[in-house]
Amino acid sequence: MANEPKKPLLAIAGLTRRFGGLTAVNGLSLTVGQGELVSVIGPNGAGKTTLFNLISGLDVPDAGSVTFEGRDVTGLSAERLAALGLARSFQHGRVFGNLSVLDNVLVGAHTRLRAVKPRVPVVGPLVELALALIRPPSVRAEEERLRAEATEIVRMFGERLTPRLDKPAHSLSYANRRRVEIARALALHPRLLLLDEPTAGMNPTETAEMLEIIRGLKARGLTILLIEHKLDLVMQLSDRVVVMDHGARIAEGLPAAVANDPAVIEAYLGHKAVGAANQDAGQDAGRGRDATVPVRIAH
Amino acid sequence: MFPTTLGPWLDYTINGLVIGNIYALLAVGLALIFGVSHLINFAHGSVYMVGAYIGWLCVTKLALPLPVTFVAVAAGCGLLGAVIERVGLRPLRNAPRIAPLLATIGLSVVLDQSAQLLFSPDPRALPTQLPTWRIAIGGGSIGALDLLIAGVGIGSAALLYGFLRFTKLGWAVRATALDRDAAQQCGVDVDKVNRTVFAIASALGGVSGLLVGMYYNTIDPNMGFQAGLKGIVAQLIGGVGNVPGAIAGSLLLGLIESYGIALFGTSYRNLFAFVALILILVLRPNGLFARARRLPPEPLTGTFIAPSRPLVLPKWAVWALAAAALALPLVVQQPYLLQTLGNAWLYALLALSLTLVAGTVGQVSLGHAGLLAIGAYASSLLALDAGVPVLLAVPLAGLVAAALGTALVYPSFRLRGHYVSIATLAVGEIVTLVILNWESLTRGPIGVTGIPPLSVAGKPLVSGQWVYWVPLAVLLAFAALQSRLLNSHLGRTLRAIREDDVAARSYGVDLNRYKGLAFAVAGFIAGVGGALMAHFYSYINHETFPAPVSMLALTMVILGGLGNVAGAVLGAAVLVGLPELFRAAAEYRMLIYGVVLLLLIRFRPQGLLGTV
Amino acid sequence: MTDALLRLDRVNSFYGPVQVHFDLSLEVPRGQIVCLLGGNASGKSTTMKIILGLLKPRSGQVVFDGQPLTGLTTPQIVRRGIGSVPESRRLFGTMTVRENVLMGAYTRSDAHTVAEDYDGVLDLFPRLRERHAQQAGTLSGGEQQMVAMARALMGRPRLIVMDEPTMGLSPLHVDRVLEMIQTINRQGVSIFMVEQNASLALQIAHRGYVLQTGRIVLSGPAADLARDPQIRDAYLGGAQAA
Repeated sequence: MANEPKKPLLAIAGLTRRFGGLTAVNGLSLTVGQGELVSVIGPNGAGKTTLFNLISGLDVPDAGSVTFEGRDVTGLSAERLAALGLARSFQHGRVFGNLSVLDNVLVGAHTRLRAVKPRVPVVGPLVELALALIRPPSVRAEEERLRAEATEIVRMFGERLTPRLDKPAHSLSYANRRRVEIARALALHPRLLLLDEPTAGMNPTETAEMLEIIRGLKARGLTILLIEHKLDLVMQLSDRVVVMDHGARIAEGLPAAVANDPAVIEAYLGHKAVGAANQDAGQDAGRGRDATVPVRIAH
Repeated sequence: MFPTTLGPWLDYTINGLVIGNIYALLAVGLALIFGVSHLINFAHGSVYMVGAYIGWLCVTKLALPLPVTFVAVAAGCGLLGAVIERVGLRPLRNAPRIAPLLATIGLSVVLDQSAQLLFSPDPRALPTQLPTWRIAIGGGSIGALDLLIAGVGIGSAALLYGFLRFTKLGWAVRATALDRDAAQQCGVDVDKVNRTVFAIASALGGVSGLLVGMYYNTIDPNMGFQAGLKGIVAQLIGGVGNVPGAIAGSLLLGLIESYGIALFGTSYRNLFAFVALILILVLRPNGLFARARRLPPEPLTGTFIAPSRPLVLPKWAVWALAAAALALPLVVQQPYLLQTLGNAWLYALLALSLTLVAGTVGQVSLGHAGLLAIGAYASSLLALDAGVPVLLAVPLAGLVAAALGTALVYPSFRLRGHYVSIATLAVGEIVTLVILNWESLTRGPIGVTGIPPLSVAGKPLVSGQWVYWVPLAVLLAFAALQSRLLNSHLGRTLRAIREDDVAARSYGVDLNRYKGLAFAVAGFIAGVGGALMAHFYSYINHETFPAPVSMLALTMVILGGLGNVAGAVLGAAVLVGLPELFRAAAEYRMLIYGVVLLLLIRFRPQGLLGTV
Repeated sequence: MTDALLRLDRVNSFYGPVQVHFDLSLEVPRGQIVCLLGGNASGKSTTMKIILGLLKPRSGQVVFDGQPLTGLTTPQIVRRGIGSVPESRRLFGTMTVRENVLMGAYTRSDAHTVAEDYDGVLDLFPRLRERHAQQAGTLSGGEQQMVAMARALMGRPRLIVMDEPTMGLSPLHVDRVLEMIQTINRQGVSIFMVEQNASLALQIAHRGYVLQTGRIVLSGPAADLARDPQIRDAYLGGAQAA
């Protein structure tokens, strides 16, 4: 590939995960370069979310490897990967419902807290407990700084979230929960951001806003791996697109090239889309060619 | 106690299989219920107890023939099961998963206590009416009752198989267990299926109680608790919801117990079951016969945190209330009143500890009284046997409870939802059983007498005011510390684990570290509470902190609002203080707790002050 | 269209605080195949839940054969004559094929006609006759889909609602399933199917609706929809095409 990055931040090779008889991810390989935005698209059940779970350590592959910043991280736990700088959002939104928006974002900064170190067993937690109870100036200053930063991150989402900083997340709309998730991910200062359908359930206006936010993150040099169904968003944002179907990669390349790949259209729009288009002239020709124009209902 | 000939071993085997058969009757019902409603029914043991009492009424009061007795027991318990489902559980269909589980605990308390009030707590004899012949086989022997139990077990299994395999309703039961929504879309009335399953399971459970009563010729109102747990253990060994697995698990558990008793003695009987339970939960959480390597997905998750706006007391109000509480002995002089309130403050320490674990971190512990017991014994024995001054022994006991409590629960940290509750329940039982059996350290069933009181500069703090002031001062200190903890980044992290442990992990939160930390803090608070109790009571034994205390603690924290520090104090004051002050007869107290728990789960899951 | 067998009338539905449907209205005329198209999270599957009574709309109503279904439970709705083929089949995995198919007749009491219908259904799906004693969970995806359709037919429904009947099937099985749907339809059963796979669904449907974030954005005769360039953008969630 012409624009294959020189230094991949994330490299996946031969990744496979089976559930019973179903192979959800089947020998998948892909790389994401520093500062790149790569999208993974594909129909429902193609294995995209399983792929994310494997990368982010919530699931363990049956075969294959994941390399992050040149280091083999296959099978590493989710909490270790987060500490290495990997943040993710979840397909259906997993915010902490009874925590305020601000606290949700602050949990995102967990790995950066100095009060959380050291990682030594028994002693480490006890030191952390003591710091939480005594709260020396350094701990208080750190908390203040993070609060300010978290507030700043939430401001990115403008009037949608800022007035709700102290509201519990369960009281938010679906779209706002997705925004909280992304704010939380940013608080981790991720080196790689995995976004699982960040615009699912959003209307076109909200989708357009999210597109601008992701574009802004990309402009700041953040490396992003994106799962998304809204193809126009994918086309506008991506440096490269990887198409999955039945757990395997069926195409990869520049957005424009992928969009016109027959295999992609077939996988994405329907297995018979291509064939149907060709046969169309023949067998179905008579049916409704000059019928009424479909009604477009405004909303 | 090491039989060397074959004969006794054969007897132990027969005995194990007979007991296993009885467990199977319980476990099969539990498995059926879990299958259709994804619920571990803690009231099942109580139904078994009710079965034994219906049998006792039929045999001793009505002098009915045995077959009629069996029919009466099955019918009565079947009806009870249907009522439990309709009244106790159906209204909670859309509540968090843990709510029906807590409701079954409440129901079990209500049933056990009602039986105690109706039939007195004393054991009753349940004569068998069966001939006394025994058939000798190879050095062992089998009696008529053994054969009856085997016959009932096999007969029930056959009937159940026929029902599930060949009747329309049986198909509906299987279909509902496999896919509730799809069954509904075939026109299955899943409520009816649930009711049917509860009725069948309860009928089997009642018959099991009757058989056990006949086997040991004794029944008592508290026989259900242990038996219910055994049924749950057997079911877990076989894999939850797996009917054939439940039968196999039961027979295995019966044999383990029987051989265990042969090797170690009767007082260890229950220990085997609970150790087996912990091992199974940790090593093969899907049961011995499962092929899958992971826990069943979602149904077992879910905390009992209802979205609510917690009542936040202004700072001055907190100070004013604390000052008023501290000043009370200056106004009120009656020693009885002060002692009662002092006791309430001690229980508030337990509630404080539990609300951190069950509320803030969402790990609903059902064995919390075990932490009190560890603290009490540690402090008493340090003071008596090691000569440690009481003032030093109390905090040391807190540390012991923190370390031991955390270490015991640690293996269950990777479990979720219901399994955590079951594991902590088992840990609580194990603590009691170890205290009972480790005589060289704990003095076994005799208990520890002559525990020295708290004293400062040689002056014992035993008068009414001190019995009030010391627990209150300790309580206020711990409440302040816990509030401070919850306001720090730790409070945020612990609550994040409760809300969504997967998302928390993905943000670098090491679950074991924080669950351990929470259990350690909780263990320290409860340990100090237990230690203070020991020094005020001056006598403790393995029954000073029984399982119902854990249920009481849970009721307190739900009453106050889970995770709510002020709520824990309020819950303890209301539940321990009020009944005493109103001189409610002691025998009604547990019944009141059970009813309060049930009403809270149904009508006010966020408690009085709101969950935090 | 006045002779609608099924009609959704200005339905607004919610999952907790999240609104899924906005004034959703649609119709299934008697004897027709109607498909509801849309991308992920457009509210397609929720529409199925609304029809089957698994989720209650906050406002608006579902009318079947002139009678509103408001307040009825799922089993009661099924008894009115709506059969369902749920998403990913949802068979009873450890029950046999025969048991699964006969579960579809759960609401019927006449054993004799049930046995006759069972035979008839097996004629329609000869493959299932060979496998009647096999556990349903061990079948291939295409065979499972047949079991699901056979199960739905056993209730003698007037309408069958299907949720993504072709999802996860190989192209060969997809063809078979589509043929079966048409066969069932020719026997007088109306079909309402939810599909992501637009081109496939429109091949066999009479009418189509396109759902986008809970609103109908396009509707019309299937043949027209199939040719409408807007459909691709509409249901992939974009405003501008690539």
